[in-house]
Amino acid sequence: MKTERLVERLASELTPVQRIARPATRLAWWLLISVPAVCLVVWAFGLRPDLAERLSDRAFLVEEAAALLTAAVGIYAALCAGLPDQPGWKVWLPMAPMALWLGFLGQQCLDVFLRQGPEGLRITSDAMCLPAIAMGGLIPAIAIVVMLRRSGKFRTTHACLCGAMGAAALGAAALRLFHMEDAAIMVIVWQLGSVALFSLVAGAISRMLVDNQPDSFLHGAP
Amino acid sequence: MRAAQQGDRVLYGALLTAVIRPLRRAARARWPRADAAAIEDAVQETLLALHNSRHLYDPERPFMPFLFGIMRFRGGDVMRRTRRAGARETSIDDIPETSDALRTDSDQDKGLEADALRAAIARLPDGQRRAIEMTKLQELSLEEASTVSGMSVAALKVATHRGVLALRKLLNGSN
Repeated sequence: MKTERLVERLASELTPVQRIARPATRLAWWLLISVPAVCLVVWAFGLRPDLAERLSDRAFLVEEAAALLTAAVGIYAALCAGLPDQPGWKVWLPMAPMALWLGFLGQQCLDVFLRQGPEGLRITSDAMCLPAIAMGGLIPAIAIVVMLRRSGKFRTTHACLCGAMGAAALGAAALRLFHMEDAAIMVIVWQLGSVALFSLVAGAISRMLVDNQPDSFLHGAP
Repeated sequence: MRAAQQGDRVLYGALLTAVIRPLRRAARARWPRADAAAIEDAVQETLLALHNSRHLYDPERPFMPFLFGIMRFRGGDVMRRTRRAGARETSIDDIPETSDALRTDSDQDKGLEADALRAAIARLPDGQRRAIEMTKLQELSLEEASTVSGMSVAALKVATHRGVLALRKLLNGSN
């Protein structure tokens, strides 16, 4: 098909569209949906009995703040990824809070290792983390998938990766409020591990989650 | 583009027409080694993606970075597709239609034909099969075949002729 003919056809098919909101506004909508949903999950599991004590612990607060920041920045990056005029650095932005989160937990692991030796870094099974994070992150994940399906079909793998990271990070932050597991190595392996796993799975099935096939009538057209 | 979002077909058509040349120029600059067809594909895919993404445009932001951003992604897809196709396809535009170069595996074809012929000969009546085997496969003369088989030369001629006709029918029928 000739380009000029394509232009005529596109112009003749034009219909009014509703503009999507900016990424920051959409992030606010996502938070508005996801935070109450996560609060419900926390309420259903019941708050951990030592929560008041933990909230006065700086390490706990920094860790929670890093998880929440990863969630918010991850979702913001996912929403930016679908827009063609957004710069590439925004898409890589979640790496910063994620690195802060991991770095902080890593430092705690190092402290434990120096005080107790390898025995302090023993990894045991924690079957609760993965399903609890999945439950906590489910509604946020559904919300971001719905938003991404309405977004552009650009950088979709990256968008799904960041979106899943954001949803799972929110789930992991919620998990700390009802699950009494404070060993840094366990948090890294089971909680950050779950976040990474969900992100990678979402990245791998991004075509299924967000239609990645460009709509095209160029090929086979008269 | 703001007008296009509200459904103004005239202004939208004018906008698309106006961006064709800058898009071609930008595509040639971005992919200098691409051929003209690939460049035109990149331009068309960009226009199509722009059409499908017009709800994403924020009128508060400049339009050209939005358009060139689309071209970077969709043009990149086109170039990757072209490269992949180039790696597994051979252009036949410059090869004459009768050229043996177009045959993909002539030896295999010959093997298949020989197998089909052998199978067809095996299905012939006994007299015709023996006549064909002696006169065509073993390339004996009619006199030699007559001596070996005990058939008269005339009978051999008739059997061979009928055998060839039957083979032709069998082979054409199997095609």
